[in-house]
This record gives sequence, C-alpha cells and structure tokens, in this order.
Amino acid sequence: MCTMKKAAISNAEKDFILTCIKNRRRVDGRQAYDFRNAKISFGQDLGHCEVQLGDTRVLCQVSCEIIEPRQNRPTEGGLYFNVELSPMASPLFEPGRQSEFGIEIIRFLEKTVRDSRAIDTESLCIVAGEKVWEIRIDIHVLNHDGNIMDCVTMAAVTALSHFRRPDVSVVGEDVQVHSAADRDPVSLSVHHLPVSVTFAYFDEGKYLLVDPTEREECVMDGSMILSMNIHRELCTAHMSGDMLLVKDQIIRCTQTAIVKVSELTDLIKKALENDRKARASGNKCGFAETQRQQKVTYLKRDVTEVDVSDKVEIPEITLDETEDSKDQAESLVVLGKGTVQVGEGGHNTWLVDDVQGVKPVQQKRKKKKKHAAKKVKDAGSSEEEETVILVPDS
Amino acid sequence: MTSQRADCGNLELRSQSCEQNLLSRPDGSATYCQGDTSVIVAVYGPAEVKQSKEFLDKATLEVIFKPKVGIPGCSEKFQERLIRNTCETIVLTALHPRSSINIIIQVMHNAGSLLSCCVNSTCMALLDAGLPMSCLVAAVTCSLSCDGDIILDPTSQQEKEAKAILTFVFESRDNEIITSNTHGIYSIKQYYSCVEACRKYGFVSCQSPLGTTNTVEQ
Amino acid sequence: MAADFKTAQPVEYYRQFLKKDVRPDGRELGEIRSTIVNIGSISTAEGSALVKLGNTTVICGIKAELCTPTNDEPKKGFVVPNVDLPPLCSPRFRPGPPSEQAQVVSQFIADVLKDSKMVNHEDLCIAEGKIVWVLYCDMMCLDYDGNVIDACIISLLAALRNVALPSIEVDEETAKPKLTSSTSSTMTVQSLPVSTSFAIFDNSILIADPTNEEENLATGVVTVVTNECGELCALHKPGGSSLSESQIQECVKRSFSRGDEIRKLLDETFNSLDR
Repeated sequence: MCTMKKAAISNAEKDFILTCIKNRRRVDGRQAYDFRNAKISFGQDLGHCEVQLGDTRVLCQVSCEIIEPRQNRPTEGGLYFNVELSPMASPLFEPGRQSEFGIEIIRFLEKTVRDSRAIDTESLCIVAGEKVWEIRIDIHVLNHDGNIMDCVTMAAVTALSHFRRPDVSVVGEDVQVHSAADRDPVSLSVHHLPVSVTFAYFDEGKYLLVDPTEREECVMDGSMILSMNIHRELCTAHMSGDMLLVKDQIIRCTQTAIVKVSELTDLIKKALENDRKARASGNKCGFAETQRQQKVTYLKRDVTEVDVSDKVEIPEITLDETEDSKDQAESLVVLGKGTVQVGEGGHNTWLVDDVQGVKPVQQKRKKKKKHAAKKVKDAGSSEEEETVILVPDS
Repeated sequence: MTSQRADCGNLELRSQSCEQNLLSRPDGSATYCQGDTSVIVAVYGPAEVKQSKEFLDKATLEVIFKPKVGIPGCSEKFQERLIRNTCETIVLTALHPRSSINIIIQVMHNAGSLLSCCVNSTCMALLDAGLPMSCLVAAVTCSLSCDGDIILDPTSQQEKEAKAILTFVFESRDNEIITSNTHGIYSIKQYYSCVEACRKYGFVSCQSPLGTTNTVEQ
Repeated sequence: MAADFKTAQPVEYYRQFLKKDVRPDGRELGEIRSTIVNIGSISTAEGSALVKLGNTTVICGIKAELCTPTNDEPKKGFVVPNVDLPPLCSPRFRPGPPSEQAQVVSQFIADVLKDSKMVNHEDLCIAEGKIVWVLYCDMMCLDYDGNVIDACIISLLAALRNVALPSIEVDEETAKPKLTSSTSSTMTVQSLPVSTSFAIFDNSILIADPTNEEENLATGVVTVVTNECGELCALHKPGGSSLSESQIQECVKRSFSRGDEIRKLLDETFNSLDR
C-alpha cells in the first residue's frame, strides 16, 4: 500500500486467511459483503466524535478559526484536514512526521469531502477578501484493525454535521464573534454526506471482501475505495495495490456500495439525532456516558467525599532572616560596573581564584584603552590600529 | 455543570470511571474519566528499541502526549517529561534492559484536572500491560480559590477562576509525594493544606484503586 | 587514583564525600555556587544580562518589537521567553531543532513568568487594540554545568529589569507609530521570583544547586520558586524519589533565603551602575 513499515504476517497465517476466503468464509465469521459493527459516540464538545468499526477506532474533533482567505478565492472559507496516525494505533506508526499512508488518507478526505462540495465553503465567508472561517478537522487514529479509510471518512462527516461554529455579526468594519452563551452557534451547511466503502481484492481480483480487517489487509492484492452519498452519486473512486480489474467488477462494487452507503448514512443520521435529543433534554452526554458499563474491565467510583475535618499540623516555617541577611551583605562583591558576585563555592573555570576580584575590572580598562587607541588611530593609518589592539596592556 | 458543583461541598471529587483493555492493538490500554475529563492511554512494551535510544541497564521509557486539536508544542513536551519521570520512578525498568516501553496519551476531553487524569490513566494502562511496578500512583489536582478555599478535582471553569492550581502524585507504599506541579501564587501554609487534602484522597485511591476492588467484586 | 575511582564508581565516589557532609567540589550540601551577574552585556538589545552560576553560564537578551494585540485582549502586550541550549554549551546537545530539555526549560520559565505575574502585560500597550510591545526574551546557555533553570530565571529577571523601551506614540493622521522622544523608559518588574533547585541523592540526601555531574547521578530533582513577598510561585518536582514533608520544608526554607540573597545581589548590581 505504501512504503510504511509493513506488518509482518507468517506464511501459515497468510495461507489460512486465503484458504478461508477461497471457501467463501472470513476469519471473523462475517460474510463477504458484511461491515463490522459500527458505533458512533459523541463527546461533550460540539464536533467531537469517536467512530468504532469493529476494533478500529478513530477520534475526530472539528474546530474553527478566522483567517484571511486565499487571494484567488476571496469569498470561500477553508477546510483543513489533519490526520494523525498515532503510535497508539499500531506499533508501526511512528510519531512526528507524516507517513505516506497518512498523506494518502488526507488526500482521500479532501477529494471526498471538500472537492465533492459536501460542505458549503461560501457560507463560511464573513468579510469577502478579509475574513473567512477555516474549519479544521483533526483526526486521530486510536486503534488500527483495518479499514481506517472508511472509519476516518465516517468520523469526519459525522463530526462536521455535529459541529456548530460561533455566530458572528459584522458592524461596519468590526467583526464581533458571539460566545455560545450570547447567541446560539450555527451549524455548517452540509449539502450531502459522502460515505466511503472499501473493497479488498484477493487472488488477482477473483475474490472480493468489504471492510477488510488488518490481517486481511496484510494479504490482499489491492483495494478499491468508493465514496458515495445517499443520492447514489459517486464522489471518489480510489484504487491502490497491484491488481487490474475488469469493468464488471467495478460496476458490481458500485452496486454493493449503494446498499452499504445507505446503511451507514442511516447510522450516522440516527446517531446525530440521538445526540441532538439527549442534548435538548439536558441529559448528560460525553464519553464518560458511553463507556461499556457492563464490561468486566469497566470500573466506576461515584462522587467521593473527602473528610479533611481532622486538621493536620502544618509545620511552621521560621526564617532566621537577620543572620542570613547580614552574611549576604558582607559576601556581595562588586566586580565592576554592573557586575556583582555572591558566594564562592564550587568550581569556576572562567575566573582564577586569586584575581577574581580584579579581572573584570581589567577588562573594563582594556576597553577604555581600545577607545583611546581608536581616537589616536583616526590620525594614523588603519594598520597602526591593528597593532595597538594586539599589544597587551601590561 | 459548574452550577451543579457549586452547591455541593468543595472537598469532593467528581465521579470517576475507568475502562481497561479497550484497544486491541496495544499491550495495555485504559481510558480514565474524572467527571467529563477523559483521556485514553496505550502502552506498548517491552518491545524492540532503536539503537540510538538503547540503555544497557534499563528499558527506555517514552511518553507521547497528544492534544485533541493541533500540533503538540512546548507545553505538551513539558507534560510528557513530567509523566515520563513519574513513570520511571514506579516502573521497574531495570528488569527489561535494552527494550522500549512506549506510553501514548490521547486527550479526549479536557474539563479540568487534566494532568491528574493523565497520570491516573497511565497507571491503569501500565497495570493492564502487566509491566512490573514497584508501587501504584494516584494523582490529585486541587485549586485554591481567591478566598483561599481548597477545591479538589476542579472543573475547567474553577481552574480559570483559581488563584493557584496544584497537582500532586502520591505513591502507594508510604503515600509520599513523588511529583508536584503547581501554577499560580500561594503561601507555604496553603501548600501544605493542599498536600494534606490531596493526600487524603490519594491514600483512599492507592489502597483501593478503582481497578483492583471492583474487578474482584464483579 | 581518585579519578579512576570516580570513573568506575561515580555513585560510590559521591557517597564517600556526602558521608562527611561535603561535596567533591568543596561545597557544603546546601551551599550554592558563586553567582555572578552582569547587566547590559549586549549593547544592541533592549535589555540583557549575563549570569554565571559556577560554570553554568546563561546570557539573556531581550528584543522589543511592535505588533498588534489579539482581539480578546486588546490592551495586553506579549512576553515570549525562549531557552536555547546550543551544542556549544554541552556535548549532550546536538544541532538541529530544540532538544526536549530546551523545550521543557522554556515551558517552565514561561509558566513562572505567567504565574508570578512578573510583567504587567498592560504596561506594554502603546495604543489599545492597535499596537503593543512584544518582548522576545532569548536565554542562551553558553556553558552547561547543571541547574540551568536557576541561571535562566536570574538572567531573565536581571534582563527584564534592565529593559529600556523607547517612548512611542501613534500618529493620528497616518496611524503609524512614531518615536516621540529619544529618551527611553525602564519597565517595572512587578514581582521578583527566584528559583532554587535541589537534587536528591540516594533517595534521601538533598543537595542544593546541583552540577551537571550531580544531576546525572541524582534520583530526583526539585525546583522551588519564591517571590519577594514570602510566597511560592512554583514547587516543581517531576517524579524521582519521594520526599517527606520535612525535606520539602527544608527546600522551601533554603529557597527563601536564596531568594533574598539574589534579590540583594540584583539590587547591588543595579546600584553599581549608578555610581
């Protein structure tokens, strides 16, 4: 897929997975066209969501700021995608620089969401040519178990639909940004929800699986990703890997994608609706509420009161200032104008102990001599000046 | 949220919850919530180490702190160093020489007391990874209001109004301070009363960390 | 013989000294290396100071520039501290982007600057919402021999007190800044925080102002920042061996007396200029 460190897979495991696929089975028991369970949960902030697709987990946060628009598009706001393949997701992801895979995801998102005009960027304009909103979409991959692409697209689209930007009003030249308490924030105008579906090909295109896991990605020949909206409009088609496909295969994929996209769009809409209701009724929302509380690994402690009635003795600090300050006053050594020393412990390779008090003063004197020399030099040649400076002033 | 807390007594902590082993890839993972503050921590290790970072007598411990929005900067590095030093104190790195232990912290939501939530979460993730540790740690944040009142586990609103914010990390053996990080101006007396208030809770936490007691019950 | 012993068993070497309440460089446990301050070391900067703490040397230069304030706080100027630990100061630093250590120290100093309210940011305002001063405080370490935080904070404090800003007004017609008079005014530094660092040796012994060697052998470090009103601005202990209450008290006490000492030192330094 890219030059990222390849995940290691043993020949035995590879053969096992391929044999399964040839027998029309998958290792996790799914059918070829089944998606894994998808779960969308929202954080407390607007535009903050987490999408789980089986064990793959992605976190997305949308934020906005006011920037100057680009010269050639003075009335359009911007959409900026940042995808972090966090080392949390897989030991093969390295922190810091963006990997090729990361760039591939960002480019795919740009094509799917921005270039398909899913978000109305013109409505992000505040003052033409001067101030527009830039919407920033930060995506963190938390756990990599295959099919990051679909998970990321779903997260980005959901978060963008969930997000509200602060309201602004323009009076003359001044732009006032209203806080959430002042005026209700406005949602972005989302034209349509593009959702992507990944198809993995095996055995030279003979077999096809939807939503591959990480293990399946390790043995696949290549993949095709189609992103589509509910209106059956194709937004992006992205192919990678070393395989060739015939026309029929692609058409078959688009047919499958239509079904999958409508399922996923329903899920997103339902999740958004649920969250909207929960917020409207004033229920608690946020990640703390969406944890799997029935699990053995889940633990909880309710509001804990701490009894601090039994006062602990607080040690008194007394400073014997008088003695100290007397000592200090005596130990201050003025070494020259603007140079003072205190204390004499420890090594110091800069000043030799014996001449400590004298040396900086000497330096001052040197400087003065230099100036004097310069004045003299004005009359003479520049060569003379060099010599004057080099002569030690003993 | 803030208004709800205002009528409660000050010296209490928001509800806390934790889920361990929630990510499939890392060797250990945990999410920890203190009120609405929530972080996820993943631990990988002991694993292969880059030669340039290898130590002959101990494991190399690395912490990566990821903010929710934007690129990590100086303040994230500062947090990383603080948490790394804290972990180095409790993890018995000498048992795994020439290997690496990676801790990745992802902020999910910051509603105050973020640093203590990160440390608590890291401790739970280290437990989940089964790394040898000399003791457990419990972190507590408290803030001093302008009147000098102590508020334990402050929300971000309370942090904004506070005169000083202090975070302490206590170890479970002798309940002594191993990490102390403070912001703002306070007197030495206030420092000690904060330590005592936090230590009280740290003690409860360490004696029966969320993890051990509840799992046994279930 | 002693040198061999030191190379082979540095910790044991130190223990032998510490047993007798003395350190290999002849200092007592709580003694701080000699501190030399020189102010106005860089003539082209708006404010500058050179601080030597034993061999550790830090030079701080402050550059003042004009910029526009943020929308949220139209009256406030900026102070941007930055600590540079270049390869020249110690072989442990490599050229390239700032090391982790440099970033951590920078952040700590930025925190101290903010928490102690050293500078009133509204003093840096020239025209509300239009022009404010931004002070770039660059601290460059010239020789790294441990305890760079203390040296940096002293140098920053001295340099800030040394800052002289030209008086500037906004021309009403052109809306551009112009110099009103050639005289420059000094800036008021509101609070005078001084930090004192300690290393913890063998999980129990506290030594003040550790050298590089001592920092490497230490099992923990503590930095206490105090101001002139007898308050604490930071008590920073990033992990390491645990400390008891009385040990923390000892650190705080020592740092209060050290704070007074440094503040006197700075006063004396500024007085010596007027003479």
